Amino acid sequence: MKRRILSLPIITVLSFTFLFLSSLTTNLAAQDKLGWVGPVYTELSQSLTKGFTSYYKKKYGRSVDITFIRPGGWPVCLDKVRAWGNKPDADIFLGAGAPAHELLKQEGRIVPYKPKDWDKVPADWHGMKVKDAGHLWTCFAPWIVTNLYNQKVLKKLRLPAPKTWDDLLNPIYRGSVVHTLPYASGTMHEAVEILLQSRGEKEGWKYLRLLAAQLDRFSTGSTDTTHITSRGEVPIGMAQPQMNAMVARRDGYPVSDLLPDQTILVPEAVALLKNAPNEKVGKIFLDWLFSMDGQKHVLQGGYFAARNDISFAKWEKEGVTMASHAKKALGADSFWSLDVGFIEYDLELAAKRWDEVNRFYEYEIYRKWGKLKSSLYLIEEVEEEIRVAKSQKMSVGKAEKKIKEARKLFEYDGDYAAARLAAAKARALLVSP
Amino acid sequence: MSRGNLFLAGLLWIVIAILVIYPLSFLVIESFKISGSDNFGISNYIEFFKDAYYLKTFANTLALSAAVLITTTIFGVPLAYILARYRQRGKTILTALTLLPIVLPAFAGVFAFIIFFGKYGTLNLVLMEIGLIEKPVNFIYGFHGLVFIQSLHMLPFIVLSLSAGFTNIDPSFEEAAEVEGASGFWRFITVSLPLCAPTYLAGGVIVFLWPFTDWLTPLILGQVDFLPSVAYINIAYHFTDLHRKYMGIVAVVVSSVVCIFLFLLARRWVEKRKYTGLSKGTTSEGRIIEPGPVMKIWAYIYMIFIAVLVLLIPIVLGLSSFSRRWVFEPLPTYWTLDNYRVILTETPLLIKNSFLFSGVALAFGVIFGLPAAYIIVRTKVPGKNALDFIITLMLAFPGMAVGVSYLLAFWENIPLATHWIIMPLALFARRLPYFLRMAHSSYLQLDISLEEASEVSGAGKIRTFMSISLPLLLKGVLVGVVMFFIMAFQEISTAIFLYRGGWETMPIGIYLNWHRGMEFGIAAAMAFLMIVITFVLLLIISRVSGNVLRAAWGSDNK
Repeated sequence: MKRRILSLPIITVLSFTFLFLSSLTTNLAAQDKLGWVGPVYTELSQSLTKGFTSYYKKKYGRSVDITFIRPGGWPVCLDKVRAWGNKPDADIFLGAGAPAHELLKQEGRIVPYKPKDWDKVPADWHGMKVKDAGHLWTCFAPWIVTNLYNQKVLKKLRLPAPKTWDDLLNPIYRGSVVHTLPYASGTMHEAVEILLQSRGEKEGWKYLRLLAAQLDRFSTGSTDTTHITSRGEVPIGMAQPQMNAMVARRDGYPVSDLLPDQTILVPEAVALLKNAPNEKVGKIFLDWLFSMDGQKHVLQGGYFAARNDISFAKWEKEGVTMASHAKKALGADSFWSLDVGFIEYDLELAAKRWDEVNRFYEYEIYRKWGKLKSSLYLIEEVEEEIRVAKSQKMSVGKAEKKIKEARKLFEYDGDYAAARLAAAKARALLVSP
Repeated sequence: MSRGNLFLAGLLWIVIAILVIYPLSFLVIESFKISGSDNFGISNYIEFFKDAYYLKTFANTLALSAAVLITTTIFGVPLAYILARYRQRGKTILTALTLLPIVLPAFAGVFAFIIFFGKYGTLNLVLMEIGLIEKPVNFIYGFHGLVFIQSLHMLPFIVLSLSAGFTNIDPSFEEAAEVEGASGFWRFITVSLPLCAPTYLAGGVIVFLWPFTDWLTPLILGQVDFLPSVAYINIAYHFTDLHRKYMGIVAVVVSSVVCIFLFLLARRWVEKRKYTGLSKGTTSEGRIIEPGPVMKIWAYIYMIFIAVLVLLIPIVLGLSSFSRRWVFEPLPTYWTLDNYRVILTETPLLIKNSFLFSGVALAFGVIFGLPAAYIIVRTKVPGKNALDFIITLMLAFPGMAVGVSYLLAFWENIPLATHWIIMPLALFARRLPYFLRMAHSSYLQLDISLEEASEVSGAGKIRTFMSISLPLLLKGVLVGVVMFFIMAFQEISTAIFLYRGGWETMPIGIYLNWHRGMEFGIAAAMAFLMIVITFVLLLIISRVSGNVLRAAWGSDNK
């Protein structure tokens, strides 16, 4: 009896080991391979894997083994490609917007390839580039930088949905906003760029400082933001890819897109990596991706399709389940018929300074977040005291001047300690001018 | 001294040199590199200790460690006392439940608690429904949540070490105190607790070190200003920014040094202060008390309270693994098998990888661990204590340190990291002490005269080992084998740095599905599957060893 008990687990463990050892080796035999690296969501990668493997099998009579590496948001993916140097571990850079691909282009990490239906993707839209004229990268899934909010929770808190960027600074939303750091997410980085480019650097950073004081906390990535907002932990999630709301709604979460007044297009693009180990299969994949079949799998994977000759209504009839969700989310029959307010976006500037912007945000806002908040809260308290004093017809001239100085120190200089000190002085001046 | 033993020890030392000393020295060297030049220097360390942000994370980590230690102690003392002293029905099962977190992956608990304690999770919804609260309460996002989750995960270590202490106290000490007129409570404070101090410290140090190694829980809760999380972000998010990478490595080295220093300090202190009663004839069970009815009820309530908290993890994960979306409702309303379909049909690779890597690591562990235990217990080979010491030290090393150092060391000169064998090798190095300690203690219990008799009768050393020692060691070794396998199976801190496309294990799959995709259900299904596998393995050890306490502890309470 004892012996049987003893031998059972050993046999189990060992047999499992051998079983898996042997199955691993057989799997590696004679198969075409394809490697992707990029920040796209699992759902898209799964849909594309499914679509492409069955297409490949049908067309070439062979199976293709796809590996997908997604170490993080696009900055992290880009870093991964850089770390590989001249021997990339993947063939295709799948996903990320123009800034990422412009960087890949500048660093010479991608090579041109013109997929078969390349002409079906518009060259630009509302002044924003959708594909590279030299065939280095092409958009396969366009979207717009939006914000996300949880209708159920906002209703519970009796708050209206914020419509513009400036609405988000309204004190009623304090503690109800969440976003991540620009280094962790390309979308957040894009949101920061939108604010910097539309308002100018000085006003842009001022806005970001004030917004940081509204945050409940920082999330660790833009998917994390989607989660937190969908689950209602924090009702407003900033810097979200437009299709996240569509997918979350399909899954039953009470969330909605919040198209801000100023935004940009992110032409989620694809490119062939230089020295790709499976270049041939990579090119077949690119051709397929822009075919009608490929584009349908893009939509089924929760992203909007990029071709300009498609209609969601038609696809709906053909049984593409996501088409009805897309139609509802966009309120249009194809992505390109959307009506939005774009800013004038300087892609070159964005590509050039992306590291610098990330760093500045992290060091000047994120790392000083505690000081930032306590400084701003004090300024606001003193401002309120001055307002009350003024309404009681007291002389507040000196204090008012000092508190304005405090605000300037906070908003434009980002010197939170000095701003706090100035606010304290203003309060003292209020008591004994 | 036989030449064979020396040869064997030499082999073991070579393995240690290649798999432990070589990579870890790489880590230290890297931390002294100055970015933008080929020079070395201590400037990274100076920057680290001058930078207000890094100092803050260091202070935060210390505060968290202290808070976790205090919380586990407050909750652990009564629990350990009940477990060690009271005679109660159903104690075994309650004990097993309270100790379960030791073998559960730490991140599984976080996911479960997010679902249950989240702002629109079950508890808040129920409280709002019955009108106790107006607005949802933030139970877990923040420092307090971290303390709660980490404390629950580490509670078993305190309970085990304290209850071992209570059991070992010679009853005559306490009886003497009672004869002298000390009341129950006073006797407990002045006699029982101080006598437990050494064993408490052994568990306490492991608890205290946990916040210095756990990067994932703070990351999931969005509280990243802690040393290991900052190190992870610096290394994993900024790996081409060399300076950031070096600073991350400095953070890893600093936490490793803190861990090792405290670990050694505690070890020394414990060895110096081991209390030994002079009396003979104490029962091995220690003193057993038949509690009064009121105490008995309180003891039950308390044990059940802890057990329920622990049970929440598998229950919540189990429920959400059969549902796609579970929020804004106390229990899931949409049921599906889709999550399991996905993990079993579309990504069986992860399950395969987990078994493969842990299995191969286990094979390495046994091949290395048995001779190592033999050398340490049975021979007088010079340097055997150092061997024991280094292997035990791996207990204190943060997993991240192992992962990063392997990546650095086995990339260019010895390009092991391009082959999947690096995964089991790293798991093997990281989890080695678990197997060794079991093999070690079984060797100690094996009477040497049996082996001597065999050798006298003419059997060689190897034959003696195969036909005498091994069968007798088997029970203890088997517990070690299963423990090793469980611990390797749930490893993530090391593996996350080493995996490449196609090498993902289940813990990595859980992390990626949750953190990088919207697939909470799939992550929950994987976590639940892991818990089931772990549970089955635990069941096997408890059948074999007959002692759940020891099985979960995985060593001899040294």
